[in-house]
Amino acid sequence: MIHFTLETVVYAGAIGLVAIGALGLVLCNHLFRMLLALGIAESGANLLLILTGFRPDATAPIIGYGPAGASMVDPLPQVLVLTAIVIGVGVQAMAVSMLVRVYRAYGTLEMSELRRRMELDISAAAGIRAPSSAQSPAGERPLPPVPAYRPASARVQPRES
Amino acid sequence: MRNVASLLFTGGLAFLLLALGAQLAFGDPVMRVGAEYLRVAGPELGAANLVTAILAGYRGFDTLGELSILFAAATAAGLVLGHRRADAPRDPPGGLILTAGADLLFPLLLVVGIYIVVHGHLTPGGGFQGGVVLAAAFFVAMLADPSRSLSHALIAWIEGFAGAAFILIGIWALVEDGHFLAPMLGTGVMGQILSAGTLPLLSVAIGLKVGSELAGLMAHLSDTEARDQ
Amino acid sequence: MNQILLPVVLPLLAAFLMQPLAQVSRLAARALGPLVLVLSALITARIWLGFGEAPFTVAIGGFAPPLGIVFYADHLALLFALTVPLFTLLFWPGLGDQDSDPGHCARRDALVLLLVAAATGLALSGDLFNIYIFYELAAVASFGLASLTGTPRALVATLRYLLISAFGSVLSLVGISFLYMATGTLNLAQLAQLAPQTLQGPLGLASFALMLIGFGVKAELFPLNTWVPDVYATAPARVAALLAGLVSKLAVLVVVRLLVLVFQQPEASQLLLSLGVLGVLTGELAAWRARDFARMIAFSSIGQLGIVFIAFSIDGDTGLLAGIAVALHHLIVKSALFGLAARWNGSLEALTGAARRSPLAAGLFVLFALSLIGVPPLPGFWAKILVLVGLAQGGSTLQLFALVSVLLVTAVEASYLFRVAVRLYGQSDSPPAPPARWDLGAATLLGAALIGVTLATAPVADHLRNVARQAGNAALYVDTVFPKTVAQKD
Repeated sequence: MIHFTLETVVYAGAIGLVAIGALGLVLCNHLFRMLLALGIAESGANLLLILTGFRPDATAPIIGYGPAGASMVDPLPQVLVLTAIVIGVGVQAMAVSMLVRVYRAYGTLEMSELRRRMELDISAAAGIRAPSSAQSPAGERPLPPVPAYRPASARVQPRES
Repeated sequence: MRNVASLLFTGGLAFLLLALGAQLAFGDPVMRVGAEYLRVAGPELGAANLVTAILAGYRGFDTLGELSILFAAATAAGLVLGHRRADAPRDPPGGLILTAGADLLFPLLLVVGIYIVVHGHLTPGGGFQGGVVLAAAFFVAMLADPSRSLSHALIAWIEGFAGAAFILIGIWALVEDGHFLAPMLGTGVMGQILSAGTLPLLSVAIGLKVGSELAGLMAHLSDTEARDQ
Repeated sequence: MNQILLPVVLPLLAAFLMQPLAQVSRLAARALGPLVLVLSALITARIWLGFGEAPFTVAIGGFAPPLGIVFYADHLALLFALTVPLFTLLFWPGLGDQDSDPGHCARRDALVLLLVAAATGLALSGDLFNIYIFYELAAVASFGLASLTGTPRALVATLRYLLISAFGSVLSLVGISFLYMATGTLNLAQLAQLAPQTLQGPLGLASFALMLIGFGVKAELFPLNTWVPDVYATAPARVAALLAGLVSKLAVLVVVRLLVLVFQQPEASQLLLSLGVLGVLTGELAAWRARDFARMIAFSSIGQLGIVFIAFSIDGDTGLLAGIAVALHHLIVKSALFGLAARWNGSLEALTGAARRSPLAAGLFVLFALSLIGVPPLPGFWAKILVLVGLAQGGSTLQLFALVSVLLVTAVEASYLFRVAVRLYGQSDSPPAPPARWDLGAATLLGAALIGVTLATAPVADHLRNVARQAGNAALYVDTVFPKTVAQKD
């Protein structure tokens, strides 16, 4: 049976956060939500890293902080997490500024739409036709909608029998 | 269909990682280098806060790399966002609560930030934490009154010279002691503000750099117009 | 010997001071970058010339490992530490550009210098988290450089790259936590000592897989390479040359160090082999279908890096030698091709008749194409033969499958590269513009280097054999970082 200690709960929580972030990245279509999911995943990874230094009944690694003779937690993971948080902040800030510019240029933040527009722009810049899809088999613009099919017999007078 | 597949895949991955983690003894770490740090970091560097002792002492080179990452992010954001047009309209100022709160909070946050930076080697805190609080002071001021923006030139000077100060302290140690970023200036008496050698100086450099960088990032973002006119 | 730190520290210092300097004097700011790179190259060259046979370490800050961070310099590390500033000088994005905004130029130069510092640090570092930090620095700097043109398509491509890369970093952090939990240290040499006891079994394999996903994004590992064609098509060509040529090799170097020192189990090599085969097949087939020049060479880059991974998955010194040979060859050829792509960035049809306007560029393209395909006596042939021989000697089913894939892919490469070459020498009324002076110069220099290596194959091969033997010697690594005269602390 699983022994439910604090450490197991926190470990499950950390892995869960990473999994939620991964799901968010894959399933969300909106760019900002993908960024938020990335932030959640980063929190999960940082939590896991801090957990590796945890010792129950130990105090912070500051001399003179806890009662004399108490053991201290491992200080190295705390340094690593400090670094990882700052890296995460930097990357997210940069991503947000790129997001603002993309919104100004394309007017949308839906990833599928953005990829389609990027594909069109790259192809246009290179002077080739964009890859075709079902909606625009000619590759340039969607075809006009086809009028509904009406069988010829519907317009013939019904015969009196 | 794609949702179900992703859900299954991520669920399976999470289950695998959980099963792996069951083998690891969380709560009872190996403490191979950890115990060594706890034993020698205090006497060797004279800092009471062992996390800062590792951050600015033993692994000071990692901290230099981290400062560079933040600098790269701020520079890239500045590159992407570009300049604002001179006649572009600004966001309206915040309401009464925000402006009154900003007037109260700005000096308080500055004092708290400087306290955390300067006491980095004694109490929980340090350059990064204090720098973020310093930047938050400027965030609040900028949100309350967007027409009052920071001078990008000044921010570039502060962050440039704070970063250069960090490296120059390291090069001074290289010249004097033969090792880059070796702790200099002795250790002093633990628990005093002027102890732990160059560690408080490095904390101040880190705090100034982080604070000015984040404030500059916010200034760039608030300068950017929300839509093309 | 402590000066080996300067090639990492000086570019950082110059990057920090670049923007204030640009406000004072534009000329000084434009000259600072190349000046610092020349200085770094000179320092590294001096250390390399004075380098005997034994690798040396530098304990940063005077703190002995494993408490402090250590820099480890052997032949392989110094080779890459020397290549980084030289290549960046060759493909300096500020050369010959007429950008008038000093702030923009200063920021761009600062980002390139940060990339240089990160790349040099990746080559030399001996501590796992230090490697992670330099990898992140290279990533953030490359995000900034990839979006340099500022066009919306470049921004979207960079955002996709950012999301994939950042998620990879999250997974590699999880891997690092597992590793730290199992061993209690982050120093590569100490990890090498502890690996046989603690990292066998599923935990070791899982941490390797997680870190491979993290560091594999830059190394264009399958399936994390979906960002590659779009970013290389929208970034400025010189930036693409630096990213595809230089930075990807350093990411591969990190994976190799992990493989040699820490994760020596056969499952790790098999994972690398399978991902390499998948990368080769998908990359080269996509290159065959590509319709514009930039994306064609981007896909080809994925394929070649797949071959590099296949090579490194072969056991022993033969695998290392093959991998290093293919990697160096790719570094020279791919950077030069991206240099040529600066002006030839249209569709493949638009390239018709380019040989008339610039015969030198067309000739260089044919030279590089022949070397990529592997036509003797060019270096590409020797590199590929080493890979094929190593695979044949291995003999397992997966390795034989890899052998067949590489041969198949060579045929595909020949097909699409010759298609382009024939077009270059065709007739056209509107041939494309010739490559710019600097780009052509860089490509010519690299072409000359390729011919030089062809003429001096034997000494180059001997030196590379030496490099590979030293890099594969895990015991030597551990003994250099922890000399046996000092009592081992456990």
